Amino acid sequence: MGLSRREFLKRTAALTAASYVGMNLPIGLDGEAQAADADSWHPGTCRLCGSGCRLELGVKNGRAVALRGISKSRTNFGYLCMKGMLFYKLMGNNHPDRLKKPLYRAKKDQPFKEISWDEALDIAAKEFAKAVKTHGNDSVAYYGSGQALTEETYIFQKVMRGGLQTNNVEGNPRLCMASAVGGYITSFGADEPIGSYSNFERASCFFIIGSNTAEAHPVLFRRIMRRKMDHRDTVKVINADPRISPTSRIADLDLVFEPGTDLALLNAMAYVIVDEKLYDENFLNNYSVFRKGKEKKQVTFDEYKRFLADYTPEKAAQICKGNITPEKIRTAARWFATSEGTMSLWTMGINQRKRGVWANNLIHNLHILTGQLCKPGADSFSLTGQPNACGGVREGGGLCHILPAHRLVKKDKLRHQVEKLWNIPQGRIPPKPGYHTIAMFEAVNQGKIKAIWINCTSPAQSLPNCDKYRKGMARDDVFMVVTDIFPTKTTELANLILPTAFIFEKTGVYGCTERRSQLTRKAVNAPGEAKPEVWIVREWALRLSKKLNDPVIKKCVEPFMGKEPDYELPKAIWEEYTQKLTKGRDNDLRGATYEVLQKLPDGVQWPAPTKEFALKGGTDIKFVRGIDPLADEHAKNQMPYQFYGPAHPDHKLWIWLRPQKGPEEMPDSTYPFYLSTGRVIDHWHTSSMTGRIPELIRANPYAFVEINPKDAEKLGIKPGDMVEVSSRRGKNILPAKVYVGPCEGMVFVYWHDMKEERMINRVTKDAFDPGSKEPEFKICACQIRKVSGPKPLKPFIVELT
Amino acid sequence: MITTLKRSLTLVITLLLMVVFPALCLSAGSHPDAGQTSHPKLSEQEKLTPCSQCHKDATPDIYQEWYNSVHGIANVKCFQCHGTYENLRVEPDETHCAACHNKQYLKRPKDKKCWACHPAHNFFVHK
Repeated sequence: MGLSRREFLKRTAALTAASYVGMNLPIGLDGEAQAADADSWHPGTCRLCGSGCRLELGVKNGRAVALRGISKSRTNFGYLCMKGMLFYKLMGNNHPDRLKKPLYRAKKDQPFKEISWDEALDIAAKEFAKAVKTHGNDSVAYYGSGQALTEETYIFQKVMRGGLQTNNVEGNPRLCMASAVGGYITSFGADEPIGSYSNFERASCFFIIGSNTAEAHPVLFRRIMRRKMDHRDTVKVINADPRISPTSRIADLDLVFEPGTDLALLNAMAYVIVDEKLYDENFLNNYSVFRKGKEKKQVTFDEYKRFLADYTPEKAAQICKGNITPEKIRTAARWFATSEGTMSLWTMGINQRKRGVWANNLIHNLHILTGQLCKPGADSFSLTGQPNACGGVREGGGLCHILPAHRLVKKDKLRHQVEKLWNIPQGRIPPKPGYHTIAMFEAVNQGKIKAIWINCTSPAQSLPNCDKYRKGMARDDVFMVVTDIFPTKTTELANLILPTAFIFEKTGVYGCTERRSQLTRKAVNAPGEAKPEVWIVREWALRLSKKLNDPVIKKCVEPFMGKEPDYELPKAIWEEYTQKLTKGRDNDLRGATYEVLQKLPDGVQWPAPTKEFALKGGTDIKFVRGIDPLADEHAKNQMPYQFYGPAHPDHKLWIWLRPQKGPEEMPDSTYPFYLSTGRVIDHWHTSSMTGRIPELIRANPYAFVEINPKDAEKLGIKPGDMVEVSSRRGKNILPAKVYVGPCEGMVFVYWHDMKEERMINRVTKDAFDPGSKEPEFKICACQIRKVSGPKPLKPFIVELT
Repeated sequence: MITTLKRSLTLVITLLLMVVFPALCLSAGSHPDAGQTSHPKLSEQEKLTPCSQCHKDATPDIYQEWYNSVHGIANVKCFQCHGTYENLRVEPDETHCAACHNKQYLKRPKDKKCWACHPAHNFFVHK
């Protein structure tokens, strides 16, 4: 300390000394209230990632003033990341950018005008009714979010399916978790992880692949870090990724492979496990079968061995390149197979692939082969990106092919069950699944969808190849409603913007990565006229019913009539969903009533069929008799594990023969680099929230392109130089971070930035997995070139126009 | 790849002197920017630089202590304890510790600051 200002600044490594020309940050921190000032504390769940950290909101005189972790919570033990500490700054009247009044414009080149809620709901109902009458039921769509509360997703999809008779119900979890869903269902017969976070403290080997856990799930990473630091010699951490990231700091072994070669690496690890007889023969014999192909043909272990012959470590090392050697593959496989408990962790690096489901299958294969499942510390655990992608969308029926509680739309019996439970006529829900996300926005482009409701997400920024889909959203014959708390790149294309209440301004449940449902009750008022979505949908449905002269639409919301929106209404929706829809299903939540959820510091893990069981916290490990009540209920024999998942009638785990497949688009002479994208710790998704918090936007004010120093040297690129990143779809111009992060031949760009020139989804590719329909955000081909030296840059956040 | 945590008492004392002494001086109004911060004035553009980027060079010892600590490995950043420019505190408000360590905060000896036992930027479990 004690440096003069001049000396201090001379030492800074600021990218440029150019003058500030940027936005005005809504800082206003003078006299800001502190945690010590809070006069009450209110329990709830973090609004940001999928970890499900429990926290308390400090309130003073009705205003949110602080957040702190809940020490007793089994998700986070009281720890929070910087986003979790600071998002109270977005609540109530704390932030000037909050949307406070319904806004409308008939044409998208007009300015918005403030209107009343009555007018807004009438317009939304009129436009959706007009589309249905003129173009049919499938001309309307709902595109939701893994950030919406379960009650919100549930009521939206109920009105769309039972009321408007369309399965055009999708959500952004298609962009991040669909391949994990496909993997769990095809390998284990049931969606969502078998185990829990409690395995972090019991695992002896962590196999992290395609996940920068340190930045994307920092509080969970802390638990892994602590486990490693407390057992430095006995706990091994393997980090497999084309990019060295902060997660590598705790790794014993970094497996850096060329993008798109992950399937070869995983098959090679299986090869070593089989070749060196490291598999668990009893587990294999008792619980698994081998399958291949679309027809799911059962094959023998010998055929599997012959299949693996193409993936010897020597062959795989040639495919994977990077720093991969045969010995590294053998070491990884041995650690994986021989540890007392191995936990695999992955996110978008695996899921956002043209063969994301296969990649998921191949991770599960390693666990089935070695019996690294159902025992302490052993799990094949997909980390979820959003706070309620699991609870709301995967479980609540928020995708085009699924109904609530893991029911497939196409199964007549399951569809009719739902119609009966909703007390609507049989046949009301169409048998055909709706458009998946990319198909939905393709249909918007083609004018097949005439009215779309986008809730709590910003596809104009988050879709791959987004310029292509923004054209459709900008069409004047596509009526677009957007419900959100802030202006976004998507509200820019809306006809009608409806301001919604934020977390802690309304009541509802989030279900996090580990099958855990947690309630957050309203603690502060929403600003202006912002409303909870559940109220908005109910009121809209009543108007729709009149305009379409269809009493069944009204019937969909009849159980919720007259309920006040802050607690009684979401409670009634939760009760219908849990008591009726999850009864007898694998995510049985009947024990997790609002009353029970409020008694526990950290909610309930399903299955939890009774209140008594739920009050003990629910099911820590699925499929294990004596732990999972459904394993006892479905038991067919005396074996300790009962894999009763609804998708596998044989109650077996399936080991899949899946060959190496590269990405849709490979580098070539014109576009010689791989482009990959990802998050930074300070921002979340499109930064519409985190970009409005001064500490966070300053910590990461704009996106960079990370370039390997060897590539940078070849191209004459220095730190801070402005670099054009272009693909067959679009281009960005970004400052360079020259960094031993991405492997040679690959560049990496942060995807949170809203600035047109730095919005990387204008460059990414919209190819998708044929099974899960999840896009391959993580890999496409690009070209890079230096445009200029460093330039002054400014952070950018969309403002209301 | 974990770097061994340093445990030198001398370093701890030095650190405390580096952090606490300037803060005490400030409270006595001995600095032209007196108030809560000793930070030199920066332009809005300069404020868009992550703290650690400058402090890596400006206060290299503190940076290294932090980088190799559990806070550094877990990506707990400067502003989470010290705030940003407008509300910067050289000596953090202890309620900031409570955001993650509330249980320990409530049961701490009330006559001691958190860092009396958990040295700043090293964050050993105990001195």
